[in-house]
Amino acid sequence: MPAVTASLVLIIFAAGTIAGSLGALLGLGGGVFLVPFLNLVLGFPFSAAAAISLTTVIATSSTVSAGRAGKQLINMKLGMLLEVATAAGSFLGGVTAQFVSQSLLQRLFGFVAVIVAVIMLSRLRHRNVILDPAADPGVLGGRYHEAESGCTVSYRVKRLPLAIVASFVAGNVSSLLGIGGGIIKVPVLNAWCGVPLRAAAATSAFMIGVTATAGATIYYGHGQLQPALAAAACLGVQLGSWGGMKFGAAASSKWLKILMAAVLVIVSAMMFLRGGR
Amino acid sequence: MKLERLIGIVLRGGVMVSSACLAAGLLLSLVTGDGGVAGFLLNAGIIVLLATPLARVVVSTVQYVGERDWAFATLTFVVLLELIASAVAALVFNRKI
Repeated sequence: MPAVTASLVLIIFAAGTIAGSLGALLGLGGGVFLVPFLNLVLGFPFSAAAAISLTTVIATSSTVSAGRAGKQLINMKLGMLLEVATAAGSFLGGVTAQFVSQSLLQRLFGFVAVIVAVIMLSRLRHRNVILDPAADPGVLGGRYHEAESGCTVSYRVKRLPLAIVASFVAGNVSSLLGIGGGIIKVPVLNAWCGVPLRAAAATSAFMIGVTATAGATIYYGHGQLQPALAAAACLGVQLGSWGGMKFGAAASSKWLKILMAAVLVIVSAMMFLRGGR
Repeated sequence: MKLERLIGIVLRGGVMVSSACLAAGLLLSLVTGDGGVAGFLLNAGIIVLLATPLARVVVSTVQYVGERDWAFATLTFVVLLELIASAVAALVFNRKI
């Protein structure tokens, strides 16, 4: 367990701010940047890094979803159904993480970081599903008002079993590695299950709070979460994602995505090098 | 009250209380060290943070039961059980059980 000093608190606060603003600009949680920083740069044990990162994931999920609740963008019914799978995956991941070696987790993180980079690059131009505004959304579908186009969008959920499997995997990876898992769920919901991108992102962000809670509770109970450092990271990430959303909306994120994909490839290589020892 | 608004209030309240506890605890811990009141505030902040999504699931379950929507009452109740299971696992790892 890393010892708490004023300078360490400041470093983690700053790292959280950067990870949070990058996350908001890229539309993913900051965990995929925060975990390697804590583990590789500051030398924290992987479990301590994952535990701190998971608390920032919860804080981001609650903040973002509180702001969006009541605007119909979050598909609560779909979210609550998929939470059954994602929380089960997260619970199993949190328990498994207590028994597997740090080097295995590092290699797994390296593997996931490359996948995240590839998904990010493949989605440089957002795809959206073709929508029929008159369609009946059914029990699980949704309907929301889109500010940009000024019209009401409605959609049906397709291939529900696929969404359930993706949610389970995302939950599992989330608590093993300390990331939110939205990067797995959002593309699946959007590309294959008929959920428009904005609704998929909002629903995923909503679910992630429950996912991360199942994992973080296990780390906290096992004494792997240093509260003061988690506090610094949470406050930093909240500041960063607030700033990222407020000032970053207009910025073109294409080059940022390419740059961050490159960073993730480097992170992945470093994780494999460490994990291979 | 509509469930979405209720959930919004629960999440916002949880974030505000936990952030306040974490910020106060963090500042205090830099002045006085990690123990005592600072440690209490930091741990309280973490527990409120972890309890916020749990509270949101409880509120949803109660609301769906009130609406007699048994399918979603069951689903949210299962999520609640999964969160309780992770708390139990945490206590097992901590050798409290």
